[in-house]
Amino acid sequence: MQPSTEYLKAEGISKQFLRNGQAVVALENFDLSISEGEFVSIVGPSGCGKSTFLHIVGGFEARTGGTISLAGQPVSKPGPDRGMLFQDYALFPWRTVLGNVAWGLEVKGLDKSERLALARKYIDMVGLSKFENSYPGELSGGMQQRVALARTLAYEPQMLLMDEPFGALDAQTRELMQEELTDIWQQNRRTVLFVTHDIEEAIYLSDRIIVFTARPGRIKADLRVNLPRPRSAAIRKSQAFMGQHAEIWDMLREEVLRAKEAA
Amino acid sequence: MTALRKSVACPARARSTLRGLIGWTLPVLLLVAMQWAAGRHDAPRYVVAPTTIAATIWHLLVSGELYVDTVASGIRSYSGFVLGATFGVFIGLLSAVWRKAEAFFDPLVSTLYPVPKIALLPVIITWLGFGDISKIAVIAVAVFFPTFINTLYGARATPVRLIWAARNMGAKRAYIFWHVVLPAALPQIFTGLRTGLALSFIVLFAAEMVGSHNGLGDLIMRSQDAMRYDWMYAAILAIGLLGFISDRILLAVRRKLLANKYSGEANRG
Amino acid sequence: MAKNMLAAVRRTAAVLYPLVLLAIFWEVLSRTGLVSPRLMPSLGAIGTAFVKGVWSGEIIHHASVSLLRALSGFGIAIVAGILLGVFMARIRWFEQLVEPIFSFGYPVPKIALYPVFILILGFGSSSKIALIALECSFPIAVNTYFGIRAVAPRLIWSANNMGADPFRTFFRVLLPAALPSIMSGIRVALPLSLVVVIVTEMIGESVGLGYYISYASASFMYASSYAGVIAVAIMGFVLDRIVIAIRNRLVFWEPKGAAQDSSPSPLEI
Repeated sequence: MQPSTEYLKAEGISKQFLRNGQAVVALENFDLSISEGEFVSIVGPSGCGKSTFLHIVGGFEARTGGTISLAGQPVSKPGPDRGMLFQDYALFPWRTVLGNVAWGLEVKGLDKSERLALARKYIDMVGLSKFENSYPGELSGGMQQRVALARTLAYEPQMLLMDEPFGALDAQTRELMQEELTDIWQQNRRTVLFVTHDIEEAIYLSDRIIVFTARPGRIKADLRVNLPRPRSAAIRKSQAFMGQHAEIWDMLREEVLRAKEAA
Repeated sequence: MTALRKSVACPARARSTLRGLIGWTLPVLLLVAMQWAAGRHDAPRYVVAPTTIAATIWHLLVSGELYVDTVASGIRSYSGFVLGATFGVFIGLLSAVWRKAEAFFDPLVSTLYPVPKIALLPVIITWLGFGDISKIAVIAVAVFFPTFINTLYGARATPVRLIWAARNMGAKRAYIFWHVVLPAALPQIFTGLRTGLALSFIVLFAAEMVGSHNGLGDLIMRSQDAMRYDWMYAAILAIGLLGFISDRILLAVRRKLLANKYSGEANRG
Repeated sequence: MAKNMLAAVRRTAAVLYPLVLLAIFWEVLSRTGLVSPRLMPSLGAIGTAFVKGVWSGEIIHHASVSLLRALSGFGIAIVAGILLGVFMARIRWFEQLVEPIFSFGYPVPKIALYPVFILILGFGSSSKIALIALECSFPIAVNTYFGIRAVAPRLIWSANNMGADPFRTFFRVLLPAALPSIMSGIRVALPLSLVVVIVTEMIGESVGLGYYISYASASFMYASSYAGVIAVAIMGFVLDRIVIAIRNRLVFWEPKGAAQDSSPSPLEI
């Protein structure tokens, strides 16, 4: 394992919950540290606890034990320092694109002209300026996710949490969105914790990949992605890429089969 | 049937006109039947020709009699509706965010929902007399139920992710209530309002028929006693129109507030 | 097993909690004389009147008459409503013919037609049953219609793919798939049947709970009047539970309806 500075530090995280009267251990004594500016992906079989961990970092689910700190400050409740991107976009259907992106800025208390200017800047960054007065219901899935991305970036969180953000999109849109995401990320290199079950996506986007075991989730492997940045579309076909893919898939396969047996 | 088959080949415009025309068939048939039946000398007294009814309506409008009763009925039902709906929505929202309120109101309303509130009418009349207040009270009580339930369920059904997203952006509970829960619940609140509105007219006319000095329901009873069945039909039509127009107004308001914003929800009906 | 019983006890307690609070509130108001004990008799007086009424058979007699009327009309409405809904959903021209009546008729209080029914069918039970049938068939027909239309085409395609003929597809696929919606309509229609029967019994009638309540009230026997209201409440409540139970048996593949449990509020987070 590579040593890393501890921008996001999760120590001894445990999560237990009851299902049908049975105790289920999602996470047990889990440790993870992320450096500032790092793009880290978590891949793992279904039910391994990767989303649970993300929700705990975001503060949406309570942990049964352990501590989390961001830039040295302890965190437990949700807050704008850890911006979250959801798989189902979570856009407010009664607000236009502009209204949605500006929402976090309204909470912050910025005055109208500032809000709109900032919101427009980020809407432009995701290429949806023409749609600023459309409602989410009028947009496609990919567009909605871009709005969600703009919304999260707009209030400039310290780090980004992404919960399988492209999971609901078709394969082609997904690839294009990955490219857009990495382009945008290049511009300001925020710290990102990204959960996905798509290995290709993880390799393409990240600096570092954490492979989860089946439940209870533990770190099976912590791998560096040594592909050059910025990442082009062609990189998906390179030897190094495919080699890493094969390596990770073997590990994952093991865990998926283990998860099936345990079920 | 062949006309229908042909319409399939027609442009959409012709088809929708045809559809509109077919819709009128039954009512027109009914009117024609009534007209014919009224002309026969062995027709019972209560079969009145639509032409006669139309003439009576005109006469009543001109003399202002229909107007007075309609206004009286309208004031009662709208007052009762607004009163009941205000309480229903307010307490519904309150129950959505405050456990204690929910624990009290939700089981109460769910249990008493299938009970006809109109049964309270005699009791309320003894309390509040035969005037407007008793009717408004009964209507308000009746309207409270569907508006409360729909508001509560609508607010409860706020997608969790939206609340998470709001908390993520740093919003506090009160802010989330006004800016997330309320807008999210709005479509269902309108469903409750619509049900409540229809209910308010049912209860109104029941109340007026049972005990009132004026109003459309009372007009119907008076017409029956006087055997002026043309008046009776006129009053029934006025009632129907009142209910229908009120519903359309509500729908228009809903369309204004919700159009486009809720992917399909508000665009229905 | 024990867990289910515990849950049931908890549910009952949750329902009783607000009722008990209300009862206490009522007793306080009545006993302290804040409200005239004539208008608000103590629970004891009401209870006595209720027991007397049941024991002497009086309340039972009136209740069974009302119940019979309500259920008869309700039964007719179920059959007519489902048939109408099915035909509207499956036969284009029938839909065009009949649908305007439903969308126009929805906000019109059908109870306004009661006087017409009296004229045609007289003052007895048949006019009431007819009105109940009319009023209740609306929600049932509408829900059936939407339920059948909403059946995922894929289900029908699968059936056809496996060689099912139209009859089999209708009875084995369409109806079961539309059943949740149909049951929803039936559940909405039930309280309507009670409302209509009570109201119609308050107008020029001599038997039935509606008559009992208004007569007792007019004769200053307020405790008896309230006892009648309680009888109606019990009837409505029990009937609703029966419908829910039937619904859960018939639609066994879907989770129990909203009245059965309150889902935890995400707003408490």
